[in-house]
Amino acid sequence: MKQHLFLSLTLGTGWLLCPESLVMVGNGAGQMGWIALPLLVAIALLYSICNKLIQTPRFPDTTGGGFLLLKTMTGAIPAAGISLAAFIPLLILAATALLVTSGYTFNEVFLYWFPNFGFSFLLLALLCTLQLLPEKLIVRAQIFFVCLAAGGLLILSVYGITTSDIPTTAVLKESGSIWSSSSAILLLLFAGLTCNSNTQHSFFSVPVAGLLIFSLWIVASLTYVSPERLTSSTIPYMTAARKIMGEPGRQLMGIIVISGTCAAITGLMLLCKQMLCNIAGVNSPNSKFSRNLRWSFSPLIAMITGILLATGLAGDELLEVLLRGALILWLAHYTLLCFAAILHSYRKAKTVPWTGSVCTCVLMVALFSLITDNPHRMELLVFLFSVLIISGLFSTIWFYINTIHPNKHLTNGENR
Amino acid sequence: MKKILLLLSLTLLMAWQPAFAAEVQLMTKEELKSRLDTGDVTVLDVRSGRDWGSSEFKIQGAFRASGGDIAKWSKDYQKDQKLVLYCA
Repeated sequence: MKQHLFLSLTLGTGWLLCPESLVMVGNGAGQMGWIALPLLVAIALLYSICNKLIQTPRFPDTTGGGFLLLKTMTGAIPAAGISLAAFIPLLILAATALLVTSGYTFNEVFLYWFPNFGFSFLLLALLCTLQLLPEKLIVRAQIFFVCLAAGGLLILSVYGITTSDIPTTAVLKESGSIWSSSSAILLLLFAGLTCNSNTQHSFFSVPVAGLLIFSLWIVASLTYVSPERLTSSTIPYMTAARKIMGEPGRQLMGIIVISGTCAAITGLMLLCKQMLCNIAGVNSPNSKFSRNLRWSFSPLIAMITGILLATGLAGDELLEVLLRGALILWLAHYTLLCFAAILHSYRKAKTVPWTGSVCTCVLMVALFSLITDNPHRMELLVFLFSVLIISGLFSTIWFYINTIHPNKHLTNGENR
Repeated sequence: MKKILLLLSLTLLMAWQPAFAAEVQLMTKEELKSRLDTGDVTVLDVRSGRDWGSSEFKIQGAFRASGGDIAKWSKDYQKDQKLVLYCA
């Protein structure tokens, strides 16, 4: 059980520790001040309730996108389309954005003479190679990345809080507005969140881990950096790290950024592969499908990411819009999973889980707010619809081919 | 400031345009450093998107300009004004 809990924790916290999340938290802390802390508690509680709700029907694939649960509500093809739309664009766009950030961080913090794009491509190649190794080794590497990033962030936070002359109570008097766009954005911190149905307590492990890490980091950031500076900075994490610990703080943050990037990409890769296996109805790692996926999926994703990097998407403002769109799709998928769980519960026991339903409504409002508050909502909507149409077509073709050639990829004893 | 200057990479933007090609020159970081204090140059940071957002180093007093919109913003400057564009 402990192993399942740890696995769930390391997979779910991958995105939490990436530089993109640190920007959301930093900007959010700047805009909302101390209000960010109770909001973070509320978000952790909301995700814990929703995870519990999704976990209740006890479907075996809640770790891999919840395809089976979604299928009970929408049918196989829409469920596959929605799952693909929620995870594949997120993986590709997050990899592109995070690798660029890591490249700049490595160049500016560690080696001035090493080209930033060179490092981005090197890291992409390393992460792609890692995915070709047996899953046991990938999970170990993921645990290493997560522990490095989380440990580094905790060291910086605790050092900052304990060595500051300013009392924490004075820092927490700085208040902002909860009605800023950041309050809904903070929901996106938990992208890729999963809960393992094999573990009784996994539904709150990731939200609580996120709450603990970020609460300390918010207090440390607000202690050393003015809210205005945190709000306006594009790299609030680096500004705070430099103020807290000087040059060693920058270097530690450099390690956090790079390991957080590795954790986010590796975690999303594992989730995507698991999701594809669930859609294909395969649950044996020795199956032909799993083996083909292992050798083809990560090189394909790396190739697409490499093309996006090389064509200059990183220097285009559009990347931010697309990444936000991919995160919104993940949140929409998560909300649909909650709906499916409510519906399943109603069909089976004729009862509606009220707390879960209220939380699902909150997620819907947040989704609406994230789309309507976005200054690029037209581009965002075009992206959302395009992804949904493409993934819908893809899943239709996939299921159509499997209808003509049933069990073509199912060998070596996997079940469907 | 030294760290910032180490990162400077002066580029020839839109060098393919004949109007610019003949006159655009490269400037060393030492030369730029000495000129920054005198104020006779205008530094334009033409990095965009995540290239700009992810970088810790931004030259103080530099204006942001999009490399693609040169026709738009070039009208705001006099022809004899020294513009320094940096992109990395």
